[in-house]
Amino acid sequence: QSVGGEAMNENKFLNTDSSTGSVETAVKPLPFKDPNFIHSGIGGAAAGKKNRTWKNLKQILASERALPWQLNDPSYFNIDAPPSFKPAKKYSDISGLPANYTDPQSKLRFSTIEEFAYIRMLPSDVVTGYLALRKATSIVS
Amino acid sequence: QGCVDHPIVLTEAVCNPLYSRQMMSELLFECYQVPKVSYGVDSLYSFYHNRRQNWPCSGLVISSGYQCTHILPVLEGRLDAKNCKRINLGGCQAAVYLQRLLQLKYPGHFAAITLSRMEEILHEHSYIAEDYIEELQKWRSPEYYENNMHKMQLPFSNKLLGSTLTSEEKQERRQQQLRRLQELNARRREEKLQLDQERLDRLLYVQELLEDGQMDQFHKALVELNMDSAEELQSYINKLSLSVEQTKQKILQAEVNIEVDVVDSKPETPDLDPLGSEQSLEDVESINEFEPLFAEEQPEVEKPVTAVQPVFNLAEYHQLFLGTERIRAPEIVFQPSLIGEDQAGIAETMQYVLERYPKEQQAILVQNVFLTGGNTMYPGLKARVQKELLEMRPFQSSFQVHLASSPVLDAWYGARDWAVEYMTREEGWITRKDYEEKGGEYLKEHCASNVYVPIRLPKQAPRTTEALAPSRVLTSSTGNPCEQA
Repeated sequence: QSVGGEAMNENKFLNTDSSTGSVETAVKPLPFKDPNFIHSGIGGAAAGKKNRTWKNLKQILASERALPWQLNDPSYFNIDAPPSFKPAKKYSDISGLPANYTDPQSKLRFSTIEEFAYIRMLPSDVVTGYLALRKATSIVS
Repeated sequence: QGCVDHPIVLTEAVCNPLYSRQMMSELLFECYQVPKVSYGVDSLYSFYHNRRQNWPCSGLVISSGYQCTHILPVLEGRLDAKNCKRINLGGCQAAVYLQRLLQLKYPGHFAAITLSRMEEILHEHSYIAEDYIEELQKWRSPEYYENNMHKMQLPFSNKLLGSTLTSEEKQERRQQQLRRLQELNARRREEKLQLDQERLDRLLYVQELLEDGQMDQFHKALVELNMDSAEELQSYINKLSLSVEQTKQKILQAEVNIEVDVVDSKPETPDLDPLGSEQSLEDVESINEFEPLFAEEQPEVEKPVTAVQPVFNLAEYHQLFLGTERIRAPEIVFQPSLIGEDQAGIAETMQYVLERYPKEQQAILVQNVFLTGGNTMYPGLKARVQKELLEMRPFQSSFQVHLASSPVLDAWYGARDWAVEYMTREEGWITRKDYEEKGGEYLKEHCASNVYVPIRLPKQAPRTTEALAPSRVLTSSTGNPCEQA
């Protein structure tokens, strides 16, 4: 309780999707806040009282890209991992075992005959669910 | 009081965007009047906490959290930021993947498979296989499956009958609709038959008039019927009698169809087609609608051993069987292609990061591989990382893998250690004065911080004056107000 001597640690991720605002309409002043503070993020050009123009991650990254970075500077988008160089191994959609075969009708992968029979009996929404899980749904149906 | 009296140590993301830091600093300094602030990276604090005698040391920090996984090379205690890499997969994605897998496998329990239950399964029942392909082969054998499959008992819900019968209900409804349509068509045909019959009789009667020689009545009747001659009458009669014949045929066949439909199997539907070609257009259209439905129903009728049977064992119905899902869900961070992500997994990214250094530095980094973060608490992760390193390092070179002593809490302990040590020193803290001079995105580097790139952001213009409620609370991402002990 020494004045100014206590360090409180807060572990917090500054995840940059600060786009949700919760408006509290309490009347009593909060004990720690400066009562005259207006955050600069609030209000854009023609914003109303409740309109907070918090940027979401895409907007933040877009505006960050526009800044004058040097070639070797680290920044949030620079450190994304590169795509894989090795070809992906194929696993069965149903059981996860290594899959050697693909059903031509539904494009699901399977490894045994029983799985194939099971696949042929699936309703179409389950089939699209499995494909969407692998991000293999085709735009052209 | 209106302010917070003590300094604050705060963690931020690796290579936090300057805008976010600016917002945060503004909040802390302007709103809460904090005297000084220090930002750092949580995994580096954890590294600091787990340091051995020689500090500053170098190492490769692999931190896997809820939302992403970072690979951070640390050289001489400072983060080498331009060689960091981030994989956008973490515990959250693993939980969602597991949830979708189970929901697709057990569509009847869609609502009961919640994310919190998935997290429980991940924490308690999942592990990382040391050799993924070998583990999968083990799961092929039925005995292994029986021994190692985990059964999750879901709470009982009364909705089970409703959900199992939906597919059956659909079948029933379809058949009912089919029957109704057929009955309608049959009725229509009969009415048409009656009308045609009556008309045919009239025409025949008129023809008889002709044959009997009653010319006047014949001609009068002809005029009534709007016909000109006897030949026309004859042709009309022929046509009508033909259509009457056809309608009678159709009625007979329709009766036959209704009996044949329910028992039919797919190879027989082509036989119905030549008969179907005689049907009227309406019939053909309506039956064509039902043909695809028929096609779906056929396999279910042919193979009675399907899931359409009602389930009698209620306890087993509410159980989820976890077999290979136990290793599949945590594996996405090693093989993101399981989930469709383009990025490389941990092993390949480690190799990529290491190859950006000369060989001597690689050897130094690899001597101190450090795993931290909540998502690293799977049993078997350390062995797996060791195996991957063994595969990628040169023959007979050495490496060392350490786990954090408490992966979830170490970041906090590390930050506390740092704060206690640096409390009175100047380095590493951003004071109010610094904030005012150099802007919100300013960062003072220290042993556990990001690298500062000196780019000034334009200060966002504050809102023009309006009397707003003083107690407006800012966004939820700002977290809880600090507490005084």
